[in-house]
Amino acid sequence: MPSLSESPPPVPPPVPVETHPNRTVGKPSGQQRALPDPNRLAPEDAYYSPALLRTRTAPAGYDESIRGLSGNSGAAPVAALRPPPVPAPKLRGTSRRRKRKGAWKKLLWVKQSYPDNYTDTETFLDHLQRNPRVRPYDFWPLVADSTVIVQHVCSVVIFVCCFIGIVQGRLSPVSVVCWSSVGTAMGWILWDAWVFRKHGESNVAERAPEGDDSSSSSSMTSSVNPSATRADQKDAQVHGLGLTMSHSETETGRRHSASLGESSQDVASPGHAHMPNIQYLPFDAPVASRLSARNRQRLSTVKSAFLIYCALLGLSPILKSLTKSTASDSIWAMSCWLLITNIFSFDYGSGEGAGATKFPASLSTNAAVMASTVLASRLPSTTHVFSLMLFSMEVFGLFPIFRRQLRHISWTGHVLLTLALVMAAGGAVGTTLRGGLTAAVVGSILGSILTALAMGGCSWWLISLQKYKNVVTGPWDPARPIIRRWE
Amino acid sequence: MTYNIAMVSDFFFPQPGGVESHIYQLSTKLIDRGHKVIIITHAYEGRTGVRYLTNGLKVYHVPFLVIYRESTMPTVFSFFPIFRNIVIREQIQIVHGHASLSSFCHEAILHARTMGLRTVFTDHSLFGFADAGSILTNKLLKFTLSDVDHVICVSHTCKENTVLRASLDPLMVSVIPNAVVAENFRPLEQVEALEPPKPIGPNDTITIVVISRLFYNKGTDLLIAIIPRILSSYPNVRFIIAGSGPKAIDMEQMLERNVLQDKVEMLGPIRHEEVRDVMVRGHIYLHPSLTEAFGTVIVEAASCGLYVVCTRVGGIPEVLPQHMTTFAKPEEDDLVMATSKAIAALRSNKVRTDRFHDQVKTMYSWTDVAQRTERVYMGIQGDIRPEEFYGYYPGQGWEASGDRVRSFALIDRLKRYYGCGVWAGKLFCLCVVIDVLIYVFLEMWFPRANIDIARSWPKKLKQKDRNQLSGTATTNNPERMGSAS
Repeated sequence: MPSLSESPPPVPPPVPVETHPNRTVGKPSGQQRALPDPNRLAPEDAYYSPALLRTRTAPAGYDESIRGLSGNSGAAPVAALRPPPVPAPKLRGTSRRRKRKGAWKKLLWVKQSYPDNYTDTETFLDHLQRNPRVRPYDFWPLVADSTVIVQHVCSVVIFVCCFIGIVQGRLSPVSVVCWSSVGTAMGWILWDAWVFRKHGESNVAERAPEGDDSSSSSSMTSSVNPSATRADQKDAQVHGLGLTMSHSETETGRRHSASLGESSQDVASPGHAHMPNIQYLPFDAPVASRLSARNRQRLSTVKSAFLIYCALLGLSPILKSLTKSTASDSIWAMSCWLLITNIFSFDYGSGEGAGATKFPASLSTNAAVMASTVLASRLPSTTHVFSLMLFSMEVFGLFPIFRRQLRHISWTGHVLLTLALVMAAGGAVGTTLRGGLTAAVVGSILGSILTALAMGGCSWWLISLQKYKNVVTGPWDPARPIIRRWE
Repeated sequence: MTYNIAMVSDFFFPQPGGVESHIYQLSTKLIDRGHKVIIITHAYEGRTGVRYLTNGLKVYHVPFLVIYRESTMPTVFSFFPIFRNIVIREQIQIVHGHASLSSFCHEAILHARTMGLRTVFTDHSLFGFADAGSILTNKLLKFTLSDVDHVICVSHTCKENTVLRASLDPLMVSVIPNAVVAENFRPLEQVEALEPPKPIGPNDTITIVVISRLFYNKGTDLLIAIIPRILSSYPNVRFIIAGSGPKAIDMEQMLERNVLQDKVEMLGPIRHEEVRDVMVRGHIYLHPSLTEAFGTVIVEAASCGLYVVCTRVGGIPEVLPQHMTTFAKPEEDDLVMATSKAIAALRSNKVRTDRFHDQVKTMYSWTDVAQRTERVYMGIQGDIRPEEFYGYYPGQGWEASGDRVRSFALIDRLKRYYGCGVWAGKLFCLCVVIDVLIYVFLEMWFPRANIDIARSWPKKLKQKDRNQLSGTATTNNPERMGSAS
């Protein structure tokens, strides 16, 4: 193999090229070499046992592993690198040899006097990084985050228990739907008041950019900046409007300014849901007209609710006989799977970012509606079917919107709601299994304890699993292009 | 010392591509060096049976179920009977598999080890460790490479990647780059060019060429972002874009939005033979790829006398010297800056692009690749002593042999596979045991004695031999001989 000196004159001498895409600093100095970063792999880690690899945290351990390697490399199934890792005096021999042969370079175009399988201990796996973007979890924030899941699971459990009660005849479907409708109406009034207040506040905040964000301080993710939180709230509100006004927004939405116009605009383009373009709308319209706009919006909401009500009423006889030819066993299995799908694909996020959810939120809602449809078809009368369908719409369609909004508005309210839901779910399970008030109380207490244990246990488990996290990145990973236009 | 080598890969002509041409070029050069080479691939549409290519390169197109993008169905064992037949017919000694996405190659390596043959694997691509597809591929690769004799990678980054993915001993991995046929990528010659080359003036048009498939991982999004910016700041710049892909629509939309149709020429898909004719029309080659194991196309561009602007990803920084390239981070702003720098350097005539072709010719040649691959073959066949092949440093108390010279004893093989993982290890061992049983069965049912030995392609007499026969002394450089014959 021709040596470096034989290469033709027009080619200038090789310059070592930094190969890492995201690092512009030069080669690490000898100091860094002597004390390797425990978060980065050393070359011998490439084939060293994974257990050792994880426990290697201190430079002392690093030296030890090298010594162990050179000591038993003959016996061990793993082989040593070349030049073999040796104690310090041998290292001088290596460098002398290197001086004689000319330093090896990580280049392909240069004809080097080293064999092709030469492995340079200094540059081999030089740019490997382990766990570069890992954010450690804390226990209590994790537990707090899990309340969202607990809430949803509890509402599903309550729904299922209500269905069992209705099927077994212990619960009147009309009373169920009446109570839930009262709850929904109250929730809507609350939500309406929040939206109004939020709207006024955001107006104030626009006029004075340094306005206080006390309303959003309840958000538990401290890293989220206030403007993003506000955008989230708008996002959530848009979700809500889009759902309840799905029938009427097209004809009424465009005509109004202020909140309705903004919401319909956002519904039309969900991708830009938190672009701040709303804030440039003229808000110096007289208060009276804005109020009337609000009333119009309320009117349209009521109208769409009435429409859904009527549609359900008309559909109930059809739904009742929908699965007459199907065995009940299949229905139970199917609704089980659908509810599980609902739980797993539910959008638990706070609505940050358009692409935050992997599954479309519609998947979980659709699964829930389908589950309640097939369940409702087992019920004896049209009233039953209608009640259960309406109940399921309230539980799976509207309640999540309310919960999300509540979490933004008031953290205490969120915790209280979680507690109430857990106890209600526990009580419902107890009543379903045994019946009677005692069972309900025992069930709610037991349910609360079990839920608390599960929340704590799962959080602890997730944290303890973090030590197995071993993300390896290096120059071989596809680079993430940074394009300004997209941001 | 010459060997009988079987190259095995799912990817071969008539499908175009980098792996395909690598296998072909390497095989022809190895044949020139006196070896016998056959290629085993699956049957393509309109290409079945046994074919001979130039110089007696024999290609077996084995009928097999293709599932995705010309990759065959991974069936672990079903390839064994016909593979054994081919290997015995052709008296193969070394099985050389290519490309980690080719299940054909993995199967062949497994069966070849069972049959007691030496194996080499060439990795042409980079894989991450994060997504599910990569994890599966990496596990499969680990299975195959647990018992391979040697691995060849096309760049040092690729070597690091492969060593990590398959937990290999780094000394069992050689880096042998791809090469280009420099004769096919000549810059415009004086006869061909209408006027003698004159230095680029400050107002002359500079043409930037991009030849790549328009995929996400080729950085087409970056390209779409930077073209309007460059064209708005340099009125005398033109683009030529060749290639097609899913991002072509985005590209055309960008052109229409910014009304750049007269400054950007979209050629659509072009054949590999036409690449040179497109390249010589430009001054700068832009390569905004996001991941690349080697990047043959930038060597081809430099060979055509183009100044190269490329992203600093994968193995690209190792490929070309700095005076031929401008590197950029894979970011829009940095790429715009690098391109501007390249344009300025060309305008000020600081870059001697006319010398690039001769320089590239000395850097990369398939003859050199074949020579280095031959050394690998010699090493695994034991024709070079292991101390020499893997390195031997006297006085360091370190035995050279170790586990690198892979023994064929079943128990040793099982030991290697068992270390692959808690469950995977046992599964792999099971696979190997079944493979051995199938082999024993095949030996009984279809005895070797009943398999005809294929006649080799009549070899041309080597120049050295001819010279010896004629009795004249020769001063021929043996390195030249390969290309001459």
